[in-house]
Amino acid sequence: MWTTEQRQRLYVEHETLQREGFTQFSVYHNKDNDTYYASGYATSNSGRRYGLYITIPSNYPHARPMMYVTDPLPLLMSDGRRLAALGLSHYMHTLEPSSNGMVQICHWREARWHSGIMLFKVFLKGHLWIEAYEQHLATGRNLSEFVGTMAETA
Amino acid sequence: MSTNDPQQQMIRDAMQAIAQRKPGKTKLVYDKTKRTIVAVAEGSQTPRALNITADDADMFAVATVSSVWLRQNWPQLLAEGNVRCQFSSWDDGDALTQCNLGPLPSASVAQAAIILAGGGASVDDVTLRIDLKPIKEAEATPSDFVAPDGTWYRASGSNSEQSVSTIFADVQPELATRRSGILETTILADKSVLLIGLGTGGAHAALELAKCGVGRFALVDRDRLSVGNVVRHPGGISQVGRFKVRVVRDLILEKNPDAAVTTHVLDLNFASKEELKKLIAESSIVVCGTDNRPSKLLVNQLCIEANVSAIYGGAFRRAFGGQVLRVRPKVSPCHQCFVAAMPDEASDVEISSSSDAADIAYSDLPVAVEPGLSLDVLPIANMVAKLALTELLKDKPTTLRALERDYDAPWYLWLNRPEPATPYSDWPPLSESSDEMTINRWYGIYFDRDSECPVCGNFLSNIAANYGLNLDNFSVPQSAAGATSMPVPTED
Repeated sequence: MWTTEQRQRLYVEHETLQREGFTQFSVYHNKDNDTYYASGYATSNSGRRYGLYITIPSNYPHARPMMYVTDPLPLLMSDGRRLAALGLSHYMHTLEPSSNGMVQICHWREARWHSGIMLFKVFLKGHLWIEAYEQHLATGRNLSEFVGTMAETA
Repeated sequence: MSTNDPQQQMIRDAMQAIAQRKPGKTKLVYDKTKRTIVAVAEGSQTPRALNITADDADMFAVATVSSVWLRQNWPQLLAEGNVRCQFSSWDDGDALTQCNLGPLPSASVAQAAIILAGGGASVDDVTLRIDLKPIKEAEATPSDFVAPDGTWYRASGSNSEQSVSTIFADVQPELATRRSGILETTILADKSVLLIGLGTGGAHAALELAKCGVGRFALVDRDRLSVGNVVRHPGGISQVGRFKVRVVRDLILEKNPDAAVTTHVLDLNFASKEELKKLIAESSIVVCGTDNRPSKLLVNQLCIEANVSAIYGGAFRRAFGGQVLRVRPKVSPCHQCFVAAMPDEASDVEISSSSDAADIAYSDLPVAVEPGLSLDVLPIANMVAKLALTELLKDKPTTLRALERDYDAPWYLWLNRPEPATPYSDWPPLSESSDEMTINRWYGIYFDRDSECPVCGNFLSNIAANYGLNLDNFSVPQSAAGATSMPVPTED
């Protein structure tokens, strides 16, 4: 299923996370079903911990991986509603949630993804999203007011 | 009356000149006093209304028969005395074109029979009959037919109302003759072009390559032709509802009947990767006219792996301009290099359909459909075809090889108008510019390959070298199902 080059890429992704200061995240190989994922806990500036989980699609790195907030679950909005209930939301930078209600962060849209983007950048965007989420909790304003849709850079 | 009668000779000359639509030394006029038609010298003063022109004389319907088809069916004709076929009937029967000549018949079809002398007893039910009579070779003209055994035949056609002038069309030699002035006639017959994305631009590029004589085509697209497409697409309103690959196949065969065309209704994604890989491996070049990045990057990846050159063409939003990227694997920048080097340019695409808009919208914020004019897409499609042609001729001795020197850049930019809120909005008018950039000109632009490109460069080995990693011993932490302490997302 996985090509040698894909396995090498995921190995490089894991090592890059360890060497670029993202040691709280790892790439894992699930030997039971030969799948890969990346996960770990991000800590916000306020000290709260958030579980981030990236599913690795079988045509990675040519396809965009999906990143979910696994913890806290459910993730609530400032008004107490479940954030996952919004589904696709431009204003909260979220995509379709998982079937068990985990919020999917919109880190790169499908049309902008390319194989030069590495997982440490995806986790970096996860961190940014979490900081914006906490600003939303503090102010009640949309998350998009704290992180704009980023202009694309290589 | 003697055939040497000068008046008869003049009438004959005038009639021949009219038939050939050439100027003659005499002309025909209606003589009111004699109440008949007479021939007069060209300079004679006659009331213009009484002159008889070629249009006045053009009174016969014309039937066009495929010489190739007739030669193929000659044994049956000899054995049975006649052979039946169908003709497209155009313009109330004014033109009858054998259906075998092309893929698109008219709405009205005439049943016909081609008959050798004495073999017409059983064909009373046909609308059009074309009788063939043997003639001596010395009497043969270009409008006569030569059978496989070398015998010449002259045709006389008729329907229930009138005589029908018959023309034999040897399609391929006639088309090749028209191309031979600039392009050696059969030089592209063995070349195969894979066209992915048959919107306005891709379809137009396909037809231009067919007209150049490209012999083999593979067409890939997932969409059907809609009514809204028709204002831009070469396919017409009669074709609405058909898959675009089949519409374009028939248009190609209308231009190059001997072309081999395969069609593939295919959505470009990981699931169709293997089929696409096979099509790319069989191609001399790939022309990609899709409007979204994931499909272009997939095609790019597979073309680099297969070492097949590719041309990527696309219009900007509302077709205010467009760009063409030519990728020679491992030689020039690939599409991934382009995306990395110029992300804004690579992402500015025309949104010509609701599905394109939905792809880009990605969330609950709608994106408007903003198609451009066909007029503005065609310059880009022409450039795509020209670059593809140049690549196809690379190993061929042809006068067009001189273009290799001019088309030396990997990326080409074209602007139809100075679109507001773009870097091109303040370009000077055409009349005020001598050497500044303006609209309606092609610009060839250089940029370098990315040596660390993940598709055509050394992405992994470069990172591995920087971190001292051994790529032969790749492994990441193992995790059994359910072993993670973190709850995990699930999919339906």
